[in-house]
Amino acid sequence: MKECENPSCDSPTGPERCRLNQLGVGCGARVVAVEGEAGLRRRLLEMGFCGGATVECIRRAPLGDPIEFRVRGYHLSLRGDQAKHVTVEPLGDGAVADSRAT
Amino acid sequence: MTTLSGQQSTRLALGKARVFLLAGNPNSGKTTLFNALTGLRQKVANYPGVTVEKKTGRVRLPDGSDATIIDLPGTYSLISRSPDERVASDVIRGARGTSGNVGAAVGDFDAIVAVVDASNLGRNLYLVSQLVEEGRPLVVALTMTDIAERRGLNISAERLAEVLGVPVIGIVGHKKVGVEELVGVLGHARIARGLELDVPAAMRLEMVELAEAIQAAVPGLAGGRALAVAERFLVGEPSDGEIKEAVVERIKPLAAAAVARLASVGIDPVQADVEAHYRWVERVTAGALVPGCAVLELPPAGASGSGVGPTMLPPVAVRPKRTLTQRIDRWLVHRVWGFVFFAAVMGLLFVSIFSFAGPLMDGIKTAFDWIGGTLAGWIGPGVLADLVRDGVIGGVGGVLVFVPQIALLFLFLSILEDSGYLARAAFLMDRVLGRVGLNGKSFIPLLSSFACAIPGIMATRTIESRKERLATILVAPFMSCSARLPVYTLLITTFFTQWSAWGRAGIMLSLYALGVVAAGLTAWGLSRWMLRGGSTTFILELPPYKVPQAGTVLRHVWSNTKQFIVRAGTTILAISVLLWALAYFPMPTAAEREARATVARAAWEVEASRHPVDDRGMIEEMRPADWVDARVEAVLESEHRRHSFAGMFGRGIEPVIRPLGYDWKIGVGLVGAFAAREVFVSTMSITYAAGNAENTVPLAQAMRAARFADGRPVWTTATAVSLLVWFVLAMQCMSTVAVVRRETGGWVWPVAMTLYMNGVAYVAALVCYQGLRHFGW
Repeated sequence: MKECENPSCDSPTGPERCRLNQLGVGCGARVVAVEGEAGLRRRLLEMGFCGGATVECIRRAPLGDPIEFRVRGYHLSLRGDQAKHVTVEPLGDGAVADSRAT
Repeated sequence: MTTLSGQQSTRLALGKARVFLLAGNPNSGKTTLFNALTGLRQKVANYPGVTVEKKTGRVRLPDGSDATIIDLPGTYSLISRSPDERVASDVIRGARGTSGNVGAAVGDFDAIVAVVDASNLGRNLYLVSQLVEEGRPLVVALTMTDIAERRGLNISAERLAEVLGVPVIGIVGHKKVGVEELVGVLGHARIARGLELDVPAAMRLEMVELAEAIQAAVPGLAGGRALAVAERFLVGEPSDGEIKEAVVERIKPLAAAAVARLASVGIDPVQADVEAHYRWVERVTAGALVPGCAVLELPPAGASGSGVGPTMLPPVAVRPKRTLTQRIDRWLVHRVWGFVFFAAVMGLLFVSIFSFAGPLMDGIKTAFDWIGGTLAGWIGPGVLADLVRDGVIGGVGGVLVFVPQIALLFLFLSILEDSGYLARAAFLMDRVLGRVGLNGKSFIPLLSSFACAIPGIMATRTIESRKERLATILVAPFMSCSARLPVYTLLITTFFTQWSAWGRAGIMLSLYALGVVAAGLTAWGLSRWMLRGGSTTFILELPPYKVPQAGTVLRHVWSNTKQFIVRAGTTILAISVLLWALAYFPMPTAAEREARATVARAAWEVEASRHPVDDRGMIEEMRPADWVDARVEAVLESEHRRHSFAGMFGRGIEPVIRPLGYDWKIGVGLVGAFAAREVFVSTMSITYAAGNAENTVPLAQAMRAARFADGRPVWTTATAVSLLVWFVLAMQCMSTVAVVRRETGGWVWPVAMTLYMNGVAYVAALVCYQGLRHFGW
């Protein structure tokens, strides 16, 4: 896992945080908050994006969207439009002891 | 803790078989387990009122009695988002309820078998946490333990059983390991230990207060159940039939006030609730792991806002190894190779559907012609023989010809789906489809629609967003289904004879492309002007690749093909008999036949003397007298159709279709095509008096020879193009309209769709015909 490629994160949530759709490919992050319309927010939470969960951006689809993530040890793809509702805290190299599949 | 015995004895006393529900996440190995449990003793039907597939099977219990197993649609959560998931939660909850939903209709059950994928324990246990809250007897089937072990996760079924308080059996479904043990413990299902959710203290307080209010309103409700109901009220999902609608209405304002109070102290009940469930999941996982073997993702202390830290094992630092799936995905969703592979898979699919299926289809056609002819021979000449040969055997056979194509399509789809590739295809295509207001998940339904729009439309049930699902349903019939293929073939081979084989293939391809473009534009227009607002989502799991299992694949192919055959034997049979009757009655009187025969004979004798024998085209070795007899017979047949009800109708609509370049005979064909598009070909053979329907060469000649009253040829290139365009764009399939009505729950959309598609087809055909004619085609 490498460091976030996106230091100039323009997220309004603060310099240390960014939106999940802004996370660079190969970067890890920790979920801080989930917003958005109630149904979508519930589904994102239920799929494992709860506060504290570790997320890794695996790849973007060839046309840039959707984006593949690993969360709780499985792979999931979201459109950028949905991923932007998740606020994350990018992790530097080594900040996560392990993101191994459970 | 209660065992089944109480309910069991009453059900047994009533002589009812016990019922078990199989519930689990998609891709959890649920279907493999279902097949292993029930073997061949299963049947597929639909849930009442919806077209969601209901798979039930029977299993012999150790005590010698038979039990029913219902395989619920895969779901991530009991709070449903797609119609498929809705059914799963309705069945689990509705049996208790009074509301007239799917669950109430399915009836009560004895226990739930929760299928849990050990290699993806976290998310799978989330559903289990909701099942536990339902307070029904539970058994856990732990699948994919072999994969989990390979990843270094050693999950102990005994420990999990201890933590949950229900029987847990490790399963390797495709090797049938553990299946017998699972059957053995079905009767020992238990209600699991309560969750003891560690929601924030303020929320806990609100839950307890609300539970008291609910208990006051519903005397006799157990404390644990009241708490579970209170929890659902706070997360905004109150009505599931457990308590009466009137009580729900009374409790709702109390719940709203509680939610407002929680919001004021910064607690969002939904988030707090899901997070508490996941903390339970983490505790259970930690308890189920064999110590020292693996690592969990550690929730950072304090990040979740709760001080209750799960008891975790010390992490063992292991760098994540790239799994095989990740290595494959580097190629299969690559920005270049991903699309190359995608195009190759689609190419192979189309080639196999349209070429491999050919010989089989010819075989079926020959068989049905033979059966029809033989039966008619036994019955002897008359109305009954005609009905059996042309109406029943001909009509049903004309549709069953497509069985090889449908079976091949489902074989491909099933292999692609089981291997995990279809999820990648949806991932690749989402952006493209999203541009026109569809969804990556629309890809599979649209692909299926190239065989037949009906399974395609039914496959839209996995799309969560109503808007995108509706758009997919409405554009699916634009995909050129296999029933259009015989029409395309007839017209292209008849009217583009001077074109090279490649040129004709190009025409065929552009017809498919025209359908796709029309679908794209329609979807775009719909999302822009009609289906505005509402959410669109694309949340798709990308499961690990696996080798598809022959048993599962073949079963899938069989059940889908069977549905198609059943439809051909019921709906299509009825429609084709009706159409046959319309084109057959009223029958001409003997005097009318005689008069027509005399006129025709005179005309064809002149024709026969004018041309050398081999120019007569039809069958060269015939003697001129026989040839004239055959022509007269054909003319009589044609005149019969002309004066039939269908013929009258065709002549009635001629003024409307004349601007498109069609005569009344084509009109009759178009009416026939409303039963099934391919019927157009056989109707043409009849109305053009080509006689022998199996041989399209004389039909082609008869069509080319046809003239309007003013002497102009009916069939020009312009007519052929206009008719092809009509067939690409028009909504002519009754069965599709019926399925759209069922899936959209009303007549508004199917009627609007039919009017729209036929309007578009009419205008496009008109523009093509008049434009081409203007340039002299």
